[in-house]
Amino acid sequence: MATTPKLTSPVPVVAPAVDASGAIAVADVEVALESLSQWQLAWRRFKRHKMALMGLGIFGVMVGIAILGPILIPYNPLDIPGSPIPGGTGPAANHFFGTDNNGRDVFTMVLNGARISVAIGFFSMSIAGLTGVIIGAVSGFAGGIVDNLLMRLVDVLFAIPFLFVILVAARFFGQGSVVALILIFGLLSWPLIARLVRASFLSLREADFVEAARAVGVSNVRITFRHILPNALGPVIVAMTLLMASNIVLEAFVSYLGFGISEDQTSWGNALSNAQTALIFGNWWWAFFPGMAIALTVLSINFIGDGLRDALDPRARL
Amino acid sequence: MTKYILRRVIQAIPVIFVISLVSFWLMIQAPGGPEAVFNQNPHITHEQVLAWLKRWCLEQNPDVFGVVREYLGWVGIWNCDAGSLFAAGGLPNFFPTFLGGGTNGIIHGDFGLSIFYSQPVSDLILSRLPATLILMSTATVIWISIAILAGVTAAVRRYSLYDNAVTFTSYVLYALPTFWLGLMLIFAFGVTLRIFPPQGIIDARSSPAPWGTNAYWAALVANPIPNLLDIGRHLVLPVITLVAVSVAGDSRFVRSAMLDSLNQDYVRTAKAKGLPSSRVIFRHAFRNALLPILTNITLEIAAIFSGAIVTETVFSWPGMGLLFYEGVNNRDYFLLMGLVLIGSVLVVVANLVADVLYAVADPRIRYD
Repeated sequence: MATTPKLTSPVPVVAPAVDASGAIAVADVEVALESLSQWQLAWRRFKRHKMALMGLGIFGVMVGIAILGPILIPYNPLDIPGSPIPGGTGPAANHFFGTDNNGRDVFTMVLNGARISVAIGFFSMSIAGLTGVIIGAVSGFAGGIVDNLLMRLVDVLFAIPFLFVILVAARFFGQGSVVALILIFGLLSWPLIARLVRASFLSLREADFVEAARAVGVSNVRITFRHILPNALGPVIVAMTLLMASNIVLEAFVSYLGFGISEDQTSWGNALSNAQTALIFGNWWWAFFPGMAIALTVLSINFIGDGLRDALDPRARL
Repeated sequence: MTKYILRRVIQAIPVIFVISLVSFWLMIQAPGGPEAVFNQNPHITHEQVLAWLKRWCLEQNPDVFGVVREYLGWVGIWNCDAGSLFAAGGLPNFFPTFLGGGTNGIIHGDFGLSIFYSQPVSDLILSRLPATLILMSTATVIWISIAILAGVTAAVRRYSLYDNAVTFTSYVLYALPTFWLGLMLIFAFGVTLRIFPPQGIIDARSSPAPWGTNAYWAALVANPIPNLLDIGRHLVLPVITLVAVSVAGDSRFVRSAMLDSLNQDYVRTAKAKGLPSSRVIFRHAFRNALLPILTNITLEIAAIFSGAIVTETVFSWPGMGLLFYEGVNNRDYFLLMGLVLIGSVLVVVANLVADVLYAVADPRIRYD
């Protein structure tokens, strides 16, 4: 098993004579020579997690559908063919997922709805993540009165009935707008992230390597972004994936209640919003397939989150 | 400890104040008010609309001061009949009533009237309380039992086929949107198989009186078995919905708390002493794993108040969650404010109770 050692380490290492002296010696040499970055190590740990890899695959397909959706759809989503049929028609060769009671293709709705649902999940997660990291970092680093005020704000956002604010705010910021929903979800869901970041900052602030950095005269900004933040990021990324999943579900529910995006746009929530009345006609496909799309996406994101939890844990061994 | 609790309560007051102010402001500023129902009615003049609003202590298109006046009227600092900060007797309105203060507002124990139902908000909420309590207590008991059972057994047999199956099931259940699961259950068991009723709390055709009326309670007491069975049949689907979603998260939580506990030194010592494994698991490991579980459950019971909105809406369950949804649709300002106030107080109290319980149950934790 004579492998040529990869010389990626900047430190010059005297290459040992590779002979058939034994596997242990070869392995030792490899460890000494191959230096992996934090992210490469994380990716190695992530790859071992089978469910996480599967989740990544499914999620990739969903993102692909979200991007290519309007090209893939077999029918025009706004086209209403013929006269309404109560309950719609069931799955068939020309309509894989059946039709709704206006004869619209449910398969088209699901493909077309991916874009808005995934976009709302992704962008609200980004807003929440950014806000949460900034506020958590400021709170944890500054301490004192700033910390106290920001944490009271977090308390307020935690205790306020979430759905109430969403329903009222959806009306307030213009009903039916995707951007409004993204802003509302993003600006309401950052407190969890802020608490996580603050907690890690409080403990890392006292860590030896931070003290060492301070002793050499590194500026506060650099300590925050270069030394503390990368170490605090693991749990935050995991929390953000979970947030994305829950915001996709939330969008579906808000649209289902009729407070979400407007009727002429398709999201998964909108696709099944009128399905309840059709259920009594035995029309299960109208509600079933958009819901399955949501469940599958959320499941894959949660598996990714689970894989990341292990992968980003610096104490976990390779 | 007393000092700690006192400090937390004092901290909570401004938090609740800000929550109610923000909610009120958002609600008033949202387009369309309760007077919108008169828009289509040609017989009602503008003056009548204004007079109607005045009766509710509201103003049409209020400016910032108007919103503050309306809010203070709801709190009980502003006397909106007189339009001043003083009660009829000339004393400040926020004084207790028996000292000559006003009678309106929550600081005098008055939640106001529901604009849509014209009934006191407190009566409305109380009338919806039984249905919510029935649903929540049933669901909570079942879900906590299943979560603890599944979590503990999975942790004990870590990485076995059983553990993997529990983990996978909980992931799948966790991913299902609550309302969609409810819809699918309604379709499968309510519409297709017709085993369980799809909606409501009682069967309107066979019940002796409408739900919640005094006649109904009298009939329930006089003839408990068939009436309770009827409620039980209606409970099945919403309880399954609530349990499925909550168990998923909690069994994972119990499992990890139990795993932490099983890795402790005292568990190894207990095993080394030769104690039977059931005793080690339940007396040594489980009792210590219970601590984080206890905290989590306390917080969830408060949060379930808002989670129930989803389930109650899908199943038309006549509880507080459905009342809330109706309130949003009807722009029923004071009803919503009452529900928001109760909901946020519950969350704040549950947070405090969770922290105190933690310190009581775990002597290693001290607050000073």
